[in-house]
Parts: sequence; structure tokens; C-alpha cells
Amino acid sequence: MTGATLAALLAQGAPLLACAAVLLALRARPRLAAGVAILGMAVSFAAAGWLAVTVAAPARHLLAQWPFLPVDASHALAFGVLLDPLSTVMALVVATVTLAVMIYSTGYMAGDPGFGRYFGFLALFGWAMQGLVLAANLLQTLVFWELVGLASFLLIGFWFDRPAPAAAARKAFLMTRVGDVGFLLGVLLLIRALGLATIPDVVAAAAPGGALTARQVTIAAALLLMGVIGKSAQGPLFTWLPDAMEGPTPVSALLHSATMVAAGVYLVARLHPLFMAAPAVMHVLLWMSVVTALAAATMAMVASDIKRVLAYSSISQLGYMLMALAAGGAAAGFFHLVTHAGFKALLFLAAGVFIHHAHSNEMAEISARAPRSQRAGVIGLVAGSAALAGIIPFAGYFSKEAILAAVGTGGSRTVLALAYLGAGLTAYYAFRMVFLTLVPGVAAHGAADGGPEGPAARGQGTSAGDRAMDVTVLALAALTLVLGYLGPWLAVRLAPGAAFVPPFAFGGGSAAALALVAAGVALAWWEFGRRGAPRIGFLERVPAVARFCADNWYLDRLYRATVIRWAGALSRAAHWNDRTVVDGATDGIASATVGGGRLLALLQSGYVQVYLAIALTLVAALAYVLAGLGGAR
Amino acid sequence: MTLHAYLFVALVLFCVGLYGLIERRSLVAMLISLELMLAAVSLNVVAITSLRGGASSVGQVVALILIGVAAAEGAIALSLFVAIQREVQSINVEHLSELKG
Repeated sequence: MTGATLAALLAQGAPLLACAAVLLALRARPRLAAGVAILGMAVSFAAAGWLAVTVAAPARHLLAQWPFLPVDASHALAFGVLLDPLSTVMALVVATVTLAVMIYSTGYMAGDPGFGRYFGFLALFGWAMQGLVLAANLLQTLVFWELVGLASFLLIGFWFDRPAPAAAARKAFLMTRVGDVGFLLGVLLLIRALGLATIPDVVAAAAPGGALTARQVTIAAALLLMGVIGKSAQGPLFTWLPDAMEGPTPVSALLHSATMVAAGVYLVARLHPLFMAAPAVMHVLLWMSVVTALAAATMAMVASDIKRVLAYSSISQLGYMLMALAAGGAAAGFFHLVTHAGFKALLFLAAGVFIHHAHSNEMAEISARAPRSQRAGVIGLVAGSAALAGIIPFAGYFSKEAILAAVGTGGSRTVLALAYLGAGLTAYYAFRMVFLTLVPGVAAHGAADGGPEGPAARGQGTSAGDRAMDVTVLALAALTLVLGYLGPWLAVRLAPGAAFVPPFAFGGGSAAALALVAAGVALAWWEFGRRGAPRIGFLERVPAVARFCADNWYLDRLYRATVIRWAGALSRAAHWNDRTVVDGATDGIASATVGGGRLLALLQSGYVQVYLAIALTLVAALAYVLAGLGGAR
Repeated sequence: MTLHAYLFVALVLFCVGLYGLIERRSLVAMLISLELMLAAVSLNVVAITSLRGGASSVGQVVALILIGVAAAEGAIALSLFVAIQREVQSINVEHLSELKG
């Protein structure tokens, strides 16, 4: 076992051990639980960092696996680690964000009665995501994929005693499950066709001239893509993500940046050659991700809850990543995943600072409560929004440029135009959020009624906790300035030979993008930022459009009117069948038996001589019959 | 004496025993009636084996065994009656109807 393999096992094992220790033994001791969880994640972070240096930097590719229950020398059930630049960089991103969120949470969640449990779940999340990232086998990926879903279910529904988080957790779990069915079928199809599911072998088999036919590749890619759109909240399955905001804010930061939703994009990047071998599927994905990116942007433009704005922006940015991947830009898509992980975690954690102090998610409430006194929060929010909008020195600019370049080469002109439009809208809603939050306004209602973040209100953060939050936010803000220069480094390692636009090559494309971003920011300033601004966006001026966008484009209503209603009717029919037919049959048999017993019991007089008389009569009757038979013979 | 005379006596004995078994309410009387029925069977066996030729000793052996069985049965039954008497202070079968359905 080489050092790299050992480090990969350590990166997965440390959070698992921390999770087990916290959940089994330390739930009642919050400080120790947080310490153990952070220690486990720090070990994972160190191991992932070491892997990034030893594996990703020299662009090595390692595969170590051990067969489990070897059946006729098949490797379908071989578990191991796959180490290449993609997985190790992703592992480092996961470890960084999870660690940052854990440190931040010591302040944000201070005083919550479920503090220990919370850190146990965070460690579980870290373990599941590291396992998913480093998995060598699609079956292994599937297992961790579901574990990631479980961890996000537990964390979204962390305040399960309130109805909204419990419902949101259920919705997240069920909607991603719809896609996961496709993922499971896709993996099974590949195993059936190939007899194995080791990722490099599957990728090799999907190449032209490989063991898979073009038809099989297309079907497998389409099925796997179902899992991706469920997990990454794309297309028709995105509506769980805005509702997932009911969880604690640091959880949203984790869920939206490096884990859960990133898992879908990571899977596409992981199996990118397989997906590229199915051009029809990629064409569908390209259009779906463009539409999702624009649709989510319009929703973000009317939301009044800061976390919902961020949630819609995540959907939109995930759409951008998948757009790049569908257009063939593996490096560009993954690059945006990395930079997005940094700035989206930053945005959520900065928003958490305000929410923690204003005790409300509503931007109007926050702006009425002296938001500018939270220095770290202001810096984080502005830096994160600049990165999200794609303003030049920040990370988002470089990755968005890479995506637009990839779409320009791999996609049609219409898609490219829509992608540029999306970039402008992104800048608009990002700075709408900044102005609405930071420019002092008049609160909608005077006294806050507790707001949705109850525990934040319960636990007035200690100064040490506040310092942990501020330090994390500032560190991530610094990271957004650095991550953008990672692009060429990643491109060389992920897509060797492919053309990659260097970061400061200004062409017509970047000029157009920057002009659109500037226009978006200017419009946001005109409508929300300037003195005496109306603070009403242009979409909000038309009530019908505002309602349409604020209500997830009525998709939830559509589902409620169709799928949920049909499922309800079906389950009512099944309930009736169960109650009336199945229960009726068993109850009928039971009551018939009881009734028959009652009748027969009348024969049991309890007097032995009556029995004797009956026996005698029967014997006499029998003798008579037998005698009659004998006579007949 | 012909075989029929023996069989007739046995029939009478059996019917008397049967009547007693069904009619009497005392457990002891029922036991006596049962012994009468057994005696009728023994009489039949002995009469048939000795008057129809063949190995009459077989019938005598069977009769002896029947007597032994009847004695054992009587001993067990009487001890049961004593136990019942102690339990419910009666050996009237009409008072022993716990198994009524």
C-alpha cells in the first residue's frame, strides 16, 4: 500500500471515526464533540492537502482496489480509491469547505441543544463526500451518493421539531430519490454490460471501439444523468433546493458549495468521456442547464429571503457548470465548481453572520438592523457577490470566462448568447442582494418575531464564537481572490491538449461579458443602491411575473396538481384495497372461525353422560350403516 | 347350554352396565356399571373360545388379563374420585361440568 493510498484512506476514515465517536459517545458533551469533529476533519484536510501535492501536482493517476467477495474473478465488487488530479483537488475542496463550516458553526450554533448531534452529522457529511470523491467503483460511488443524501436529509431537517424543516428535509430526500432511481439503473446497466463498474474501465469501455455499443452508452449516460439532475437540482427537479434553506445556514453553505449539489457535477466530470460519447444526451443537458441557469436567475431576482437568493444562484451556477461540461469543457466546468465552492460557502457564511445578528432571513429586516456593524460579514458578502457576479479580480470572473469560452467552442450561438445573458442577470441579482442587505432601509415590521432562525436567537453568540465566524469568513474571502488563478493549472491536468484561454487574455468575449456584468451591477445600483432608490426590481413591477418567479415558476404547483395528486389517488386506492379487501378477507376468516367455534361450543354441555350418549348413538348409527353395507354385499 | 344362552346373558349384563353408566349420577355407580360391561365382554370371550372349539386357553388368558385391567382401572378411578371429592366436595357428575363450552 503506497503512501498516497494510505492518505486517501485517512482522508475518508478520519471523519468517519469522528462521526462515530460524536454520535455514539459525545452527544451530551458539545464542546468535546465539536473538537473531535473538527480534529477528524482537520486530519482529512491534511491528508487531502498532501494528496493534492503528491498526486495532483505531478498529474499522477493511481488506482488501488481490493476485491470484496470475489465471484469468478470478477471485479464488480472491488472497493478502492481512484487518485488523479480531479479527485484529489475535489477532496481538498471538500475538506476545506467542511472544515471552514465546522469552525464557523462553533460560533453560529453555540447554545443549540443539538450541538453535539450537529457536529456528528457534519462529520458524516464530510465522510460521505470524501468517499464519493475518492471512490474507484461506481457501486462505491452509489453507496456514498446515498450517504450524502442521508446526511443532507439529517442536516436540512436538523430542527425537526418544527414543521417547515421537517417537510423540507422530506422533500429534498424524495426529489433526489427520483433521480437516484435513474442513477441506480444506469450503474446496473453498466455492470450488466461490462461485468464491472471500476471507473477507469467504464470510461475506457465507453470510448469509440470500446466494449459498449453506442446505444448502451447513450442509455447509460441518460440514466446516470437523471441522478445528476436530482442531486445537482437541475431542470425539473430543482425545487427541493430553495426549500432546503430551512436548515441551519452553515449547512446551506456546505450543501451548496462542496457537497451534495456538487456531487452531481463531480460525477459528470468524473465520467466526462462516457458522457461525451453520448452526444444526444449532452445536447439535452446543454439546453436543460441553460434554461435552468436563466430560470433560477429570474427567481433569484425577486426573492426577498437572502438564503433563497443564494439558493437560486446556486442552481443557476450549477447550470453553468453543467453547461460547460455538456459543451465539452471538462476543465472549465470543474474549475467553476472549485471557485463556486469557495465563493458560495463565503456568501452563505457571510449571510449567516447577518442572520445571526438580525435573527431574520429577510433582507429588509437585516438592512434595518445596522448590518454595516458586522465588518467581516460586509467584506464577505461584497467579495462573494463580486465573485458570483464575475467581476475581474475575483475567482468567479476567471471560471465564468472559461465556461463561456467552452460554450463558445462546443455549443451553438443561441446557447452562448443565453449564457452571456445569464452572466448579466447574475451580476444584477448578486448586487441587488448586496444593496438590499447593506443599504439601510426601513424594516417591514418593527420588532422581529423571532424569525426562522430560532436557535440563533436562543444562543447569543459568545465573543469567541463570533471571532470564529469572522475568521472563517475572512479566510474564505481571501480565498476568492486566489482561487481564480488555479484555472490553467487545472486545465493542464484535467484536459491535457485542450485549448484553454489564459486568465488575462482579453478578447471580444470577455469584454462583452464584463460589459454585461457592469450593466447588471449598474441596474441593481439604480434600482436598489442609490439614495432614494425605489427598491423594487423591474421584474417585481409586474405582479404576475413576480409571483411566477417567486413561486419556482409554478413548478411546485404543477407537481402538486399532477404527480402528487395522482400519487395521492393511487395511495388512497391502495389504502382502500388494504382496509377493505385484504383486511376484510383476514377479518372475515377470523370472525367465521370465531362464530363457528361459538356454534360448536353449544355441543359441549360439560356433562360426561351426555357425551357418552352421543358417542353411543353415533356408534349405533355406524353399526347400522356398516351392517347395511354388509348386507348389500 | 348353548352358546346363545351365554351370549344372551352377556348382552343383558352389557345393557344393564350401559344403562347404569348413562343413568346413574354417582361416579362410583358409573364405575360399577363399567365393570359390569367389562364382565359381559369377558363372558363373551370365554364362552366363544371354549364352546366353538379351538384353543380355549386363549380366551381364558384374555379374560384373566381383562380382570387385571379392570382391577387396575378400578384402583385408578377410585383414587381419582377421592381426589375429586376433596376438590369439589361431590362425586355427582352433574356438578362436574367445568368443560362446558
